[in-house]
This record gives sequence, C-alpha cells and structure tokens, in this order.
Amino acid sequence: MSNSNLFLKSAFVRAPLQNGVGRYVCQLQRIVLKFCKSHGGSRGIRDFIEQDLVNFAKQNPSVVVYLKPRRHRSPAVVAEYLNGDRVWMSMHLKTHSEITKWIEVLRTQQGDVSGARLRKYQYTDHPSLQGPWTPFTFKDPELNVAQLPDPKFGANNRIPMSATEKLRIMFEKQKISDEEVKTGE
Amino acid sequence: MIRAGLQRLASVFNSQGGIISRFITQNAPAQHRPAEETTKDVISTCNKLIQEKSHRNFAIVHLLGKQWRVTDGDLLVVEGYWPPNIGDKITLDKVLLAASKDFSLIGRPLVQPGLVTVTATIISKGLSHTKTHFKKKRRKQFMRINFQRSQQTMLRINSVDIKNSINSAPKNVF
Repeated sequence: MSNSNLFLKSAFVRAPLQNGVGRYVCQLQRIVLKFCKSHGGSRGIRDFIEQDLVNFAKQNPSVVVYLKPRRHRSPAVVAEYLNGDRVWMSMHLKTHSEITKWIEVLRTQQGDVSGARLRKYQYTDHPSLQGPWTPFTFKDPELNVAQLPDPKFGANNRIPMSATEKLRIMFEKQKISDEEVKTGE
Repeated sequence: MIRAGLQRLASVFNSQGGIISRFITQNAPAQHRPAEETTKDVISTCNKLIQEKSHRNFAIVHLLGKQWRVTDGDLLVVEGYWPPNIGDKITLDKVLLAASKDFSLIGRPLVQPGLVTVTATIISKGLSHTKTHFKKKRRKQFMRINFQRSQQTMLRINSVDIKNSINSAPKNVF
C-alpha cells in the first residue's frame, strides 16, 4: 500500500486557527490562473475565464483572483491558502468542465491536504470522558479490603451451568412457586 | 453454586431495560425502595445534572456507515462522496448514545429524536493523497497498478446538547 511511500509525509487531522469553532473562514486566499492566449493547450482555461470566472469572483469575495497571460507556455493554476500552503496544478489540455471541478476542489480544501497521508480520521481534545475502562471499573469496592485468598472472590464462577444444575434450579423454582401459591391462599 | 445461579436468574428477571442503563451514584445509593421510586430518582438526578451542565457531553453518532464518538470541538474526516459543502452547518441526527460523565443514555437503536442535538460545521472538502493499489501474482504474468484519490470531508463538531427532559414522551418529529 501507499504507506510504504518513502517521501509521503504523514499527518494528523488538524484545522488551522480553530476554524469552524466560532465561524467558518474560507481557507483559500488567492488563486492565480496562468494561461496562453493563443495555444490550444489553454483552450479549456480560456473558456473558464470567459464563462465562469466573473461569477466565481463574485461568489467568493474573500478570494483574490489573478490572471496571468504568458505567451506559449502551458496553463497552470496556483492556489494559496491561509496557512501558507501553495498548491500548483497543471491545467494543460484540460477541458472546461474538468477545470471547473478542479478549481472547486482548490476552493473547498484547506491547504495542501493531499500532500500528506492521514494517520487518524478523528481528532479530539478529550479522549475519555467517563474514564478509561480498567478491570476494576464497576466492580464492588469490597474487594479492596478483602483478605485474600477468599473463597468468595476466588470461586470459579466462569464455568457454564451444567444440565444437572439447570434441572435443579428448575426444580427449586417450581418449589418456590408452589409455596407462593400456598401462601396466597 | 445453585444459589448463585438462582441469584443470577433473579437478577435477570428483575432488571428492567430502561433508557438509563447505568447510573453511577456519587450520592448515597437508594436501597430497599420500590423500583419505581428509584427510577424516578435516577431520572430526576439525571435531569438535574443536565441542567447544571456539570460536565462535557459526548455522543456516538452514525455517519455514512460509521460510528463516531464525538464531543464539542472534535474534528472528523469523512471519506467518500458526501453532498454538504464548506461552511454548511448540519445536525447529526442519528444519535446512538449520548452521555456525560455520570450517566449514559443508550438508544434502542437511536436515542429519541429531539432529545440530543449534535451540530457540526463543514470545514474542508478535498481529495486524499494518491493511494496506490498494486497487485501482483507471482509466476502468473499478472500485474496491475491503480491509483486512487478519495474525497475527504472534514467536520468540526460544534455542540453536543442534551435536553433536560429525559423521561418525556418522544415527539418523533425531525
């Protein structure tokens, strides 16, 4: 599996600046679209700029959008996040819809989340609230002052009930119920 | 041995499966009293504890086929396609268990609706690192390599609230 990847960092679940505790802050701060005005490889990103970019900027007023035309070079998108992460993504020969989806991913993620393998999928400041379980949890504290060995605590009560015992218990129960009937009269 | 078995039987017959399965009394235990009064006492004490907000609550919620133990301020990462988008505030309604330090409310299988409110905010939606699926069978000329990135949604748990009306009838309204 990918755990054996030497150069992949591992990480725990974190959110920058307690995000979401009070209010939510969009973590994408700046996005730079680099493209060529004439080459075919930039076709998709040019379509995106013509059709969707204004709406994107209107819907995300907290995100700074830059356009960087450059002659005869392949298109790329660079996203910069509040925690200082910078994600570079090639948009060469990607279609309009693909670019829309990738930019949505860049907008919604918080930093370079795919750069590290998550070790845990949950983070908590309070790992145990009722106290971790021990063998003495919910046990009678009588054991604390008992003088051991004690037949009461040393008895082996883990063996299952035998058929004979079950029969005898049924018999005893029957006797008890008979007595109850008698007393009821 | 027989006596022990009888006692075990008696305990089985006497135990009543209520919503409050376990209650650790820090106060003096109420013994030699009818079961109804004890139940009432336990419920009122739980309600008092909830009202005082003496301790942090936690809950076990069912979310996309997994069960998570959550408390205020937790972070969860949910894998796979999930519609909620960033900034959304949602309520996690499938609560299997809600508890505080001194009592637990265990649902059968869910705690009654409206009793426990777990709210969360979506923080981040992204893709995981590239996972490599490498398969090879020796001496069979078989080798496959697949790459996969799953969608990950990060949640912040905002609050786990228990209403202090444990014994009131459920309204069954979401």
